[in-house]
Amino acid sequence: MKKSVITLFILSVFYLLVGFSAVDKPGNIVHEKVLENGLKVLVKEDRRAPVMVSQVWYKVGSSYEYNGITGLSHVLEHMMFQGTEQLKPGEFSKIIAANGGRENAFTGADYTAYFQTMEASRLEVSMKLEADRMQHLKLQEKEFVKERQVVMEERRMRTDDKPQAKAYEYFKAMAYVTTPYRNPIIGWMEDLQSMKLTDLADWYQRWYAPNNATLVVVGDVKAENVFSLAEKYFADIPEVPFETVREFKEVDQVGIRRGVVKQKAKLPYLLMGYHVPSLRTSVNDQDAYALEVLSGILSGGNSARLPANLVRGEQVASEVSVGYDLNARLSTLFLFDGVPAGEHSLGDLEKSVLDQLALLKKNRVTEQELARIKAQVIAASVYEKDSNFYQAMQLGMLETVGVGWQKEQEYVAKVKAVTAEQLQKVAKKYFVEDHLTVVYMEPQALNSEKMVKQVGGSQHAN
Amino acid sequence: MRIKTRGFLGVLLALYSAISFAVPTIQHWQTANGVKVYFVPTDGLPIIDAQLVFKAGSAYDKKQLGVAALTSALLDQGANGLTAQQIAEQLENVGAHLSTSTSRDFSAISFRSLTDKKVLKKSWETLTQVLNKPDFNLADVQREKKQTLLAIKGREESPGIIAQLALYQQMYKKHPYANPIQGLNKTVEAIKVSDVKAFYQTNYVAKKLVVVMVGGISRQKAEKLVDTLVSHLKPGVAAMPLPAVSKLGKAVFVHKDYPSQQTHLMYALPVMANNDPDYFALTVGNHILGGSGFSSRIVKEIREKRGLAYSAYSYFHPMVQQGPFIMGLQTRNEKVAEAIKATKKTLHSFIEEGPTEEELKAAKNNITGGFALRLDSNKKLLANVAGLVNSGLPLDYLNTYIENIKTVSIKQIIDAFQRRVVQDNMVMVTVGQPLSVSGQ
Repeated sequence: MKKSVITLFILSVFYLLVGFSAVDKPGNIVHEKVLENGLKVLVKEDRRAPVMVSQVWYKVGSSYEYNGITGLSHVLEHMMFQGTEQLKPGEFSKIIAANGGRENAFTGADYTAYFQTMEASRLEVSMKLEADRMQHLKLQEKEFVKERQVVMEERRMRTDDKPQAKAYEYFKAMAYVTTPYRNPIIGWMEDLQSMKLTDLADWYQRWYAPNNATLVVVGDVKAENVFSLAEKYFADIPEVPFETVREFKEVDQVGIRRGVVKQKAKLPYLLMGYHVPSLRTSVNDQDAYALEVLSGILSGGNSARLPANLVRGEQVASEVSVGYDLNARLSTLFLFDGVPAGEHSLGDLEKSVLDQLALLKKNRVTEQELARIKAQVIAASVYEKDSNFYQAMQLGMLETVGVGWQKEQEYVAKVKAVTAEQLQKVAKKYFVEDHLTVVYMEPQALNSEKMVKQVGGSQHAN
Repeated sequence: MRIKTRGFLGVLLALYSAISFAVPTIQHWQTANGVKVYFVPTDGLPIIDAQLVFKAGSAYDKKQLGVAALTSALLDQGANGLTAQQIAEQLENVGAHLSTSTSRDFSAISFRSLTDKKVLKKSWETLTQVLNKPDFNLADVQREKKQTLLAIKGREESPGIIAQLALYQQMYKKHPYANPIQGLNKTVEAIKVSDVKAFYQTNYVAKKLVVVMVGGISRQKAEKLVDTLVSHLKPGVAAMPLPAVSKLGKAVFVHKDYPSQQTHLMYALPVMANNDPDYFALTVGNHILGGSGFSSRIVKEIREKRGLAYSAYSYFHPMVQQGPFIMGLQTRNEKVAEAIKATKKTLHSFIEEGPTEEELKAAKNNITGGFALRLDSNKKLLANVAGLVNSGLPLDYLNTYIENIKTVSIKQIIDAFQRRVVQDNMVMVTVGQPLSVSGQ
């Protein structure tokens, strides 16, 4: 369905499997132009099919929010479909559909992005509509009241009725103290309830401007043509003066944090996380790329250490995985999550994970393991060329989180350069007990399920 | 920049024009032992995707519910004397992907590799071992069983899955489609190594297999690869036809208590088998009713007008035998009665009156205008070709698709919905906290 919240956790797990692309491959040329009002336009030509994807990325998301206004970026994303000065609510979607297009939007901690995939000749339709809602959004009370209900339903569906998602929400609120990553992307229910239309209007005024946006187009298009369409539709939108965005830093963690989350559930669930830098916040890039490779050593594929040793070997986990978001705008967490198998407890699983980390600190990983991760990253950099959407997403995300789209072109080389020695070094440096947060999600009995069955009766609406 | 409304829309609509898009040709052959092969060569990327689809889904479990899914999950857990670890390493050393899956009708192996000669040799060899020589060692079977049992337990903490399982039970009663794909606790516990081996012997045979390949290799190379892959499979016996689905004679309403904030609602009945004569009328109709996100009636009624749900949808799921038509949504518990009423009413008026001219035109524009998007990557091509050949559709299905969509009329849609979607026979399931829920 429409409009998803992408959680960092899922993204980062996905991330390692897909990687980035090499610099020298044909078809990997990115054309860049910055309009006078600051809008950055990126184009990648790919002529395999007569289609294109167009994405507009804004540098705003839940990590720009603060206590009391959580969820604002995401609700605004919903409202972007609810009409402009020229278009009635829902008309945006109607026009895209009439042109054979698919569209959607997503909000993350560090970005809000809108996209259309269409037959390539329809590019102008999408540009025109995006330019319109970048400046002429019409926020209306009636639509807002309804859309807020929809978002609350979304929250119930994605978080409140999902024991593991709920545990992750509490986990983040405990692991982060001063970083806004502690708040859920979709917002706390309380904040959604007290949100006002004027909050949205302020947020829109503040962040939706050409000099805070990146337009990415990938597909069967000509860069020159995209640039001139961008000029035509976006160039007159005035830029907005920005104060420097305040850089939130996490307060030092000075001792392990432990918590228990009780949920009506059937299976226990473990969450663990260490504070680590992202590519943007690491003092030298090397640590971030080493952490990226470490996440591969631990859970990048079926042969990686966690499935090999915890799922198959010790059989202490039925599933266990690592999440590391190289592309986080702020410093992030190196995450573990898992479900204990058989008679094993959450404590057993935690101990087994810690044992694996101790091994990484004690011994260097084998050259064979390292080569395997690199082979996967190289293959993935070819596989990703099968998806225009994914390629556009990489460029848009890197640009939006502030490391620059050029990092996409370095990724494979940077990963290839990581050594076993570096891996051991970062394992020792970051997997430190004082910087660890652990949450046990403990299932509570569900009420006995009753079943009522009725047969027959009128089936007509009344 | 200031744009007048008329001009604004005018430009957008003027852009619309007929689309010419070359649909790739599907090459087809059959191996000596009876495997049907479908191949689409593509240019531009050194990637090969393959899908091996056996008519061996959970509908063929017989009494041992879960045996198809368990067999499928065990294929890459030990083969030709290699451990699960060795198999995974062989694939991942060259960056190849292999996964297995099971639906009610089919069990499938999906494979992706680079076409580089050395890489493909190694990855294809591993695929061949997994397909031809699974070991089904006791330790691996026991471990996978435990995993399955945990997954079965896990589905009880999801109101959505509880609703879906109850729905299939009510729709299909004694038909094999009624059962959960992974089986039940007691049936999975009872599965022995010999049962898995027997299921494999009977079902992983040439005559039940369709191989679909898409990617950057030549026809000659593709034939060679397929020969290495399947020439040692026993021909076996083609799959027995599944029993026909019995008609539901009356409306059924089932509610299950669950301590969730939302109630999950599903409203359904079995309608369409693969290659159904009403396919295009029902598909275009459903696009308007609930298959096209914001443009669809159910989203307008449930989400846009009433703010009742984040997701509301309807779809037809054609299967080997009659698969379901399902409408569904999730709403806060106190709004269930209103949501039920709106869902039934939306369907009722659609069946009675059908779509408007405007809706039909918009749907056709969307489907035909977006056709190229369905085939714009190797992954999507593979899925489409696999879908059509396993549905028994003609190989020119994609070539004639747009024409078939275009010819659908309002009259055909009303007629098809009135004959096929009989509201008096529909099953409604709700799972959530009881708040004077009623199917009335």
